[in-house]
Amino acid sequence: MTETEFALRTDGVGKRYRKGWALRDCTLNLPAGGVIALVGPNGAGKTTLLRLVVGLLAPSTGTVEVLGHDVTASTPHTLSRVGFLAQDHPLYKRFTVAEMLRFGRACNLRFDQGLAQRRLAKLGIPLDRRTGTLSGGQQAQVALALALAKRPDLLVLDEPVASLDPLARHEFLQVLMGAVAEGGVTVLFSSHVVHELERVCDHLVVLNQGRVTLTGDIDALLAEHRLLVGPRTATDPDRAGAVVEAVHSDRHTTLLVRDGGLPAAPGWQAQPVALEDLVLAYLRRPSEPSGAVTSEVAA
Amino acid sequence: MTWLIWRQHRTEVCVLGLLVGMFGIALLVLGTQAHDLFPGGPARCAGPAGVDEACVASFRRLDEGYGYVENLLAAFYLVPVVIGAFLGAPLLARELEDGTWQLAWTQAVPRTRWLAAKLAALAGVTVTLTALFTAVLTWFRQPFDAWEGRFQYDAFDLEGLVPVAYALFAFGVATAAGAILRRSLPAFGVAFGAFLAARMSVALLARPAYATPLTTMRPVPAGGATADAAHRPVRSVADWVIERGYADASGRRLSSTEYYQLEDAANRAGTNLNQFLHARGIQQFGVYHPADRFWTFQLIEAALFVAAAAALIGVVVWRVRRRVI
Repeated sequence: MTETEFALRTDGVGKRYRKGWALRDCTLNLPAGGVIALVGPNGAGKTTLLRLVVGLLAPSTGTVEVLGHDVTASTPHTLSRVGFLAQDHPLYKRFTVAEMLRFGRACNLRFDQGLAQRRLAKLGIPLDRRTGTLSGGQQAQVALALALAKRPDLLVLDEPVASLDPLARHEFLQVLMGAVAEGGVTVLFSSHVVHELERVCDHLVVLNQGRVTLTGDIDALLAEHRLLVGPRTATDPDRAGAVVEAVHSDRHTTLLVRDGGLPAAPGWQAQPVALEDLVLAYLRRPSEPSGAVTSEVAA
Repeated sequence: MTWLIWRQHRTEVCVLGLLVGMFGIALLVLGTQAHDLFPGGPARCAGPAGVDEACVASFRRLDEGYGYVENLLAAFYLVPVVIGAFLGAPLLARELEDGTWQLAWTQAVPRTRWLAAKLAALAGVTVTLTALFTAVLTWFRQPFDAWEGRFQYDAFDLEGLVPVAYALFAFGVATAAGAILRRSLPAFGVAFGAFLAARMSVALLARPAYATPLTTMRPVPAGGATADAAHRPVRSVADWVIERGYADASGRRLSSTEYYQLEDAANRAGTNLNQFLHARGIQQFGVYHPADRFWTFQLIEAALFVAAAAALIGVVVWRVRRRVI
């Protein structure tokens, strides 16, 4: 692979604020094309990582390379290839929608105003309204139209639908996925909601307490992991290294293992794992990547 | 960028422009009337020639008709801080408050260029508005300056170069405070406080020390000298007297207690005070800066505030470049 086939490469990236490390030792190689989900609980360091990716922050350690370029250089060329939609989709509240588009045109090298106008017209968002008077869903759509009109190669979105109602959320994702289907753009977005990811995403990064705990292609991750259900034991000795999580009930033990689908031991039944359960299992793991979590289930 | 800066800051620029315009026009109207009191121009009455009778009459009418305006002008020492802080405080703080910094700095304009353009444009507006206002005010004060000199606080602080430097300083403080506090209104407050503190301490403590003051020393005249004359040991009213008092024959300065003891002694002896002091060789002294040091002092004080403004802007640029924000 040549380096431009990676949308994003980070090497040992850490970010320290005055309060402490928000992100540590983050090494990622994310391919160009498709949709990448960054999942983690609140305070996991998702926003910090995304701000590092778009060059709003500088890393305390390590390097961030986007589309083959060091982002801290911040040349007009590299900036124009990355679109960013920050959390709560900030806009200039006293600008009209048309003025926001003019802002986009004034500050970008290849801004497709016609594209943005068509998108907004299709959504019925009037150009002469001040953005501050639009609904949350409409503001998000204006911000998305601005980011897409840059014709970016990488579009980064920070919790894009977190503040939207279900209808607006659906419409937003529809527009976003429509843009992805038109091709040419890699999407990286963060979310603390795990369900529906499978339908939308190709690639997954799980972030917990400032560290990457799982990353990979979603289909491959689902193929590598499975649930083993068997009689209650301490652990399955053969697979100790591959156990991600062990859940014990009165009579049964359920193991989440990453063993690439070896034949199950006698007395054990293998089941595929749902993406949501997989993510939750990794989120329950302690931040240091050592050992599996063992939990007792009362019934 | 030009359109964006205008669109984002046009409210502040228009409000300030309107205020400066209104006060400016009022001063021009009143000033024309005040200037008309001096047929040969107010400059003719300045200095020793001011003793001429026509001039004295003009000065009296000026004081009666427009003295109240001069007193009001003292409040205009706040004009530079209003202009500078009003333009500087929202420059970064508003973007940080609303989260729009994330929008502004992820377009294709690098953040250092964005910042340079904004700083240049808004500092330019600050300088232009303050300079215009100062020019009108300086012209308005010409008749008053002819009478009182330009070194008093109500003249020196409002005229020439220093108001522009004060405004740039306020602009720098407000911008830096906005970058650090991330809120416009507190940044404006900090700029206001810092402005008052810096202006007061510089005017009272630093300004008298820009150059070594001159000292006059002369014996108390034996008789006929009025109390008023006794208090004017300096040659010209336009000089800036920073200290005056009495010294003994050897030139040692007398404390006020020592002076009052002498006064008491004179009263008890029943002699005229001046004769009493003259007989003991007491001298009057005055410490002052001559009037012709006006521009030197203006340059020094302006340089001081411009340097402080530059340092503050440097901090802002450093923070934005290093992505501390």
